[in-house]
Amino acid sequence: MKRDSLPRLVTALVGLLVISAFRPAAQDVRLPHRPDSLKFAVIGDTGTGAGPQFEIGRQLATIRSGFPFEFVIMLGDNMYGRQEPQDFVEKFERPYAALLQGGVRFYASLGNHDNQNNRFYKGFNMGGERYYTFVRKNVRFFVLDSNQMDPRQRAWLDEALQRSDDEWKICYFHHPIYSDGGRHGSDVSLRVTLEPLLVKYGVNVVFAGHDHIYERVVPQKGITHFVVGSSGELRRGDARPSPTRAAYFDRDQSFMVVEVDADDLFFEAVSRTGTIVDSGSLQRKPKT
Amino acid sequence: MMRSHAATAAHPRIRHQARRKAGHGALTLLIDRFLLLPIGAVIALVWANTAPESYFHFSISFGFVVNEIGMAFFFALLTQEIVEALMPHGALHSWRRWSLALIGAAGGIAGATAVYLGFVYYQYETILATGWPIVCAVDVAVAYYTLKIILPRTGALPFVLLLGIATDVFGILVVAPRHPVLEEHAGGAALLVGALGLAALLRVLHVRTFWPYLAVCGTLSWLAFFREGLHPAFALVPIVPFLRHEPRRLDLFADPPDDDATHHFEHEWNVVVQLILFLFGLVNAGVLLQGYDSGTWAVMLAALVGRPLGILAAVGLAVAAGLHLPHRIGWRELVVLALASSTSCVFGLFFATGILSIGPVLSQLTIGVLATAAGALLAFGAARLLRVGRFAAR
Repeated sequence: MKRDSLPRLVTALVGLLVISAFRPAAQDVRLPHRPDSLKFAVIGDTGTGAGPQFEIGRQLATIRSGFPFEFVIMLGDNMYGRQEPQDFVEKFERPYAALLQGGVRFYASLGNHDNQNNRFYKGFNMGGERYYTFVRKNVRFFVLDSNQMDPRQRAWLDEALQRSDDEWKICYFHHPIYSDGGRHGSDVSLRVTLEPLLVKYGVNVVFAGHDHIYERVVPQKGITHFVVGSSGELRRGDARPSPTRAAYFDRDQSFMVVEVDADDLFFEAVSRTGTIVDSGSLQRKPKT
Repeated sequence: MMRSHAATAAHPRIRHQARRKAGHGALTLLIDRFLLLPIGAVIALVWANTAPESYFHFSISFGFVVNEIGMAFFFALLTQEIVEALMPHGALHSWRRWSLALIGAAGGIAGATAVYLGFVYYQYETILATGWPIVCAVDVAVAYYTLKIILPRTGALPFVLLLGIATDVFGILVVAPRHPVLEEHAGGAALLVGALGLAALLRVLHVRTFWPYLAVCGTLSWLAFFREGLHPAFALVPIVPFLRHEPRRLDLFADPPDDDATHHFEHEWNVVVQLILFLFGLVNAGVLLQGYDSGTWAVMLAALVGRPLGILAAVGLAVAAGLHLPHRIGWRELVVLALASSTSCVFGLFFATGILSIGPVLSQLTIGVLATAAGALLAFGAARLLRVGRFAAR
């Protein structure tokens, strides 16, 4: 080693130490983890088959060891590009192998990049339907195909929401009706069609993807909207400043973990490296 | 399709009234040049991108009335044109008159569809595949006026009219049964049979005024289409042939015979239909420009590249097989004509809203349809480059 390279090496080491000191360390999930609560994870815009998707898969598995969520909801664009049988292995089964082996079920919605026939794929648990509903404990989930809000789907949602007397109503689909993503943003035509039903029947939370960022939107008409579109894809720096933006993260891939217990819903958004980038809780307004 | 003579060649009394209302100037020009629809479309685009929530409330509230009731009159007038052109001594009575244009239309449809589906599947965007009928649309008015400027007094005008109408009729046949509806009801077929039977009876009784055909038969037919899940905008199509007609040359945008009760229907409804087209543009063309995506490029490529190539290839094969090009049209002119046919605004918009429901897929395809207006510019560019028509070297 040359004599003059030693100061450079020291400088580099000091620099690395400084950087790592300021880099947020991976944190443990801080959700209450109450007994008998409903625990699930949320991922969106996942199906790239690339490294970050695998890293998110590993983070999910790590978190599950301490926070045993039962299932994962998928917000669409579960598969990008070719969608042959081998692609389901490369872009779904391998990245989430640990979860699948642990018995975690995935409940998918369809995005614009998904082949509509993917609803028949068993791993997505869609029962062959573009839109469907399922209930876990005190929460009913309404899964929509937002590519087209055809009259039949809207009528189905109207009826399904009307029938539901579950304490929590959570709706999820691919295209956000509120988003401050720079590339896509809010789909207002969809909002005008859907929102009256969501408000009328007291939907509490909406999850969507499409914009490749994480965003929590200031509650709109009593509904909290999340955009979770960066669990595989990422559009770095795409979140635009807006008065409706409550929290956001657009520097790395991310996903969410959620816990619902009685009238409380706790959430955390977690980055690819395990950093908690947003957290909070919502309280359900009891029926009057 | 309506006539541009809405105010200038209608029944004298109506013409007078229309002109008086139009201030004898601006509105007449707007109607004559089919400008009300693009004006409606521009207003919609600006509105949707500046106050989207109020725009979409408006468009969803009025969509049904405009698209499924109002547009029925537009298609009725188009049917009237075609029926009269198909009559003995009409422009389309002889197969020789329309065979080459029909072949060109088939080539255009095949080319546009192949490019659209090829692009969609190449991009693995299979959700967009259902939108293929949208590219089976030619904006006849734009094509006509583009060629009227570039190639006046040639066989290009009737040729492009025939080609456009044939393309759009094919599109209508494809779109009608694909209309997304909440539910279908039994009994529609019986209603339609009743409507047709009644229309036949009115014709036998030599009823010349169109009102009974419209009010009774048209209403029954509309209900029949609606109940069967067919697009109700086409409900007057089977009724119009029962009206009394007389043969005509096919020139949709020229003055029709200014005569009698047989044209009451179109005279009465011409200006109304133009206003409906304005509302049609206003209700349907508003999209958030942020919504562009793969479907936008698919529609543009299909219309601006696929259709012209398909037309040229098909006509080339037909000429090789012995058919003749229209009067004063050579290959360079045909290139310009094919490009002029690539704009698909009115019918493209209608087909898009006819087969797709509200959502991002519709938005991105609608942007593509609006962008095909560039076809007219391409036609002018090609004409200048190839020194065709008004750009020919003196």
